[in-house]
Amino acid sequence: MRKVRRRSFLQGSGAALGGLVLGGGAPFYFARNIAKAQEGDTIKVGILHSLSGTIAIIETSLHNAELLAIEEINAAGGINGKMIEPVIEDPQSLVQVFAEKAKKLILNDKVTAVLGCYTSASRQSVLPVFEEYNGVLLYPTLYEAQECSKNCFYTGAVPNQQLDDFEPWIVANLDRKKCYMIGSNYIYPKETNREWKALLEKSGAENMGEEYAPLGHTEFSTVINNIANSGADYVFSTLVGDSIVAFYKQFKQSGFTAEDVPICTPITTEQETAAMGAENAAGHYTSFNYFQTVDTPENKSFVERYKAKYGANEVTNAVMEAAYFQTYLLAQAIAKSGTEADALIFEGLPGQEFNAPQGPVKIDEKNHHTWLWARIGKAREDGQFDIVWTSKERIRPDPWVDYLYPNKDCDFTNQSVLDRLKKPWSEEKNRSGTMDI
Amino acid sequence: MWQQLFMQCLNGLGVAGILVIAAAGLAIIFGVAGVINMAHGQFIMVGAYTAALVDELGGNMFMSIPIAFVVVALLGLIVERGVIQWIYDRPLETLLATWGVGIILEVTMKFIFGTLGRKVDWPDLLDGSIRIFARPPHFPYYRVFHVVLAIVILAVTFYILYRTRFGLKVRTVRRNRSMASCLGIDTAKIDMLIFMYGSGLAGIAGAVIAPIKAATIDMGFSYSVNSYMVIVLGGVGNLLGIPTGSFLIGEAETLLAFRYNTVIGQLLVFIAIVIAIRVFPRGIFGYQERR
Repeated sequence: MRKVRRRSFLQGSGAALGGLVLGGGAPFYFARNIAKAQEGDTIKVGILHSLSGTIAIIETSLHNAELLAIEEINAAGGINGKMIEPVIEDPQSLVQVFAEKAKKLILNDKVTAVLGCYTSASRQSVLPVFEEYNGVLLYPTLYEAQECSKNCFYTGAVPNQQLDDFEPWIVANLDRKKCYMIGSNYIYPKETNREWKALLEKSGAENMGEEYAPLGHTEFSTVINNIANSGADYVFSTLVGDSIVAFYKQFKQSGFTAEDVPICTPITTEQETAAMGAENAAGHYTSFNYFQTVDTPENKSFVERYKAKYGANEVTNAVMEAAYFQTYLLAQAIAKSGTEADALIFEGLPGQEFNAPQGPVKIDEKNHHTWLWARIGKAREDGQFDIVWTSKERIRPDPWVDYLYPNKDCDFTNQSVLDRLKKPWSEEKNRSGTMDI
Repeated sequence: MWQQLFMQCLNGLGVAGILVIAAAGLAIIFGVAGVINMAHGQFIMVGAYTAALVDELGGNMFMSIPIAFVVVALLGLIVERGVIQWIYDRPLETLLATWGVGIILEVTMKFIFGTLGRKVDWPDLLDGSIRIFARPPHFPYYRVFHVVLAIVILAVTFYILYRTRFGLKVRTVRRNRSMASCLGIDTAKIDMLIFMYGSGLAGIAGAVIAPIKAATIDMGFSYSVNSYMVIVLGGVGNLLGIPTGSFLIGEAETLLAFRYNTVIGQLLVFIAIVIAIRVFPRGIFGYQERR
């Protein structure tokens, strides 16, 4: 659990550090458009996940999932006869090292693309590198969205894919309209709760209270008391890390059952339920695009092959699944458009589809995020989830949800935007490659 | 409303119980040997992992309490003999050295156990809660247990310090170290034993805190901070400083969190402690060494 969990903990500081490392002084004349010469018969793909340090556990599992996919692709004959050669770097869970290693992968190793990062902090520290040297990054984590980069493809869920159907489902199926929101005190929970409040309003549900606990907080008696006091009939939790385990445990010990007041969350996965003792999570709900129990032939064989390669006790989770299928998406894109970065970015990857363990997924042509399935799982006594609802079709990613940010989205198919992005570096005022919307 | 307020006061008591358990070891080492053990939180963490191991091997928390006490006391012995004994008279260096020890412990434990948290269960006996009011939240047994254990730890420590020959020597050393050593008391040995005892208490703290969350590598830090606050506020002049500081902080934190919210509650407590230090520079129960 401890993995310093999740996402953008250090988002602010990460961005700041990234800025420091790469800011102003980067020699932009150095290699704006490096010819990605492919020597030999292999296609180099960078893998950038921490194999040591605080988030190593979760990132190692992503690393493993990607290597598994590469092995399978190579065993099936590679990409048009060329083998994929993984170039592995270990950024040691240090935000500034991520940026250094990304630079090395692009400039020295001349990789075609990089699969990597887990936290928002690490992603934000490498993005300027990818944008400056025109590299390609595929990023597998669910995150708070509101970001768009020409050079980055996001294969994890954005909030609308986890929330938009969850709230109406709670109203319709659990018949609960009094919500208490508890989250960790940083950007992801606050942004998620902003959307959740809008959803509550739309369906006429009540917001009974909203509270944030410091990161790593594990003393929840007061919060639990407040929940009781508010008269809420369910809890929407965006707690991360240690706090998840402490909250579920103390909630149960205080006499609340999942039947009385269920906890609904877009965060708690199989990994947390294992760490808290599954009986503490049983009966509570999680919304995710993937669970290990997803009943597709692709998932069965994915779980089987993963366990065969890495051990029978391994569990799979949503982020690993994204790491796995994004490797396939990349391979298909290279087969389609070749290895040149702009070709990959504008032809190969957008619209690319793959039959992933969660179901068929597709990279959106406009915003570089991924169409994913939505599912709601009810935790079982054994730590796995019973899937109680699955979306009829895959859900469009919407980095800026319409009900909060009307008409805001990014569109990399818009010709004027493309013209601007393709201008030579020296004429480019907006160095970042991200778009002003 | 009154029900919630009443529950909140009880919760504050529970938090105070945890604070006493976590701070006792630190306070005793600081009070007698004059060393602020920056690795205290990591000692708690080692205690928690010990409990997780006992749990995995089929034992329960009541077994892990004595085992964690012994394991962490031995760890304290190693640290004291290996590092601290050479630098007792240089407080700044002891800060740095114990801080380093804390980092070494975290990294070592990470190597051994990985970064994934370990789950620790409550013994069945303590599973559940007292129904004070008809509807939840009820008052969990583990909070009662924490309060009782806090009282037991204070009582045992009181007995050792004030009712045994060893305790008499300890108090002598604390009052006037050089005079005590002139009178033939082996002050180095007293320091060593006290360091072991304080470390062992940290082990117990880890063993009883782990079940309300999970044993995790970085759990120590927040308990270090809270323990320092207890000592700063309560003072180490006599044993009453620990429960007083814990009670004030525990109740203030929970009641303020109830009135405002958790983040503001913590903020206000920190501000209050800064002001309190201005009024009681040595804590509420500070003491002056006799020279």
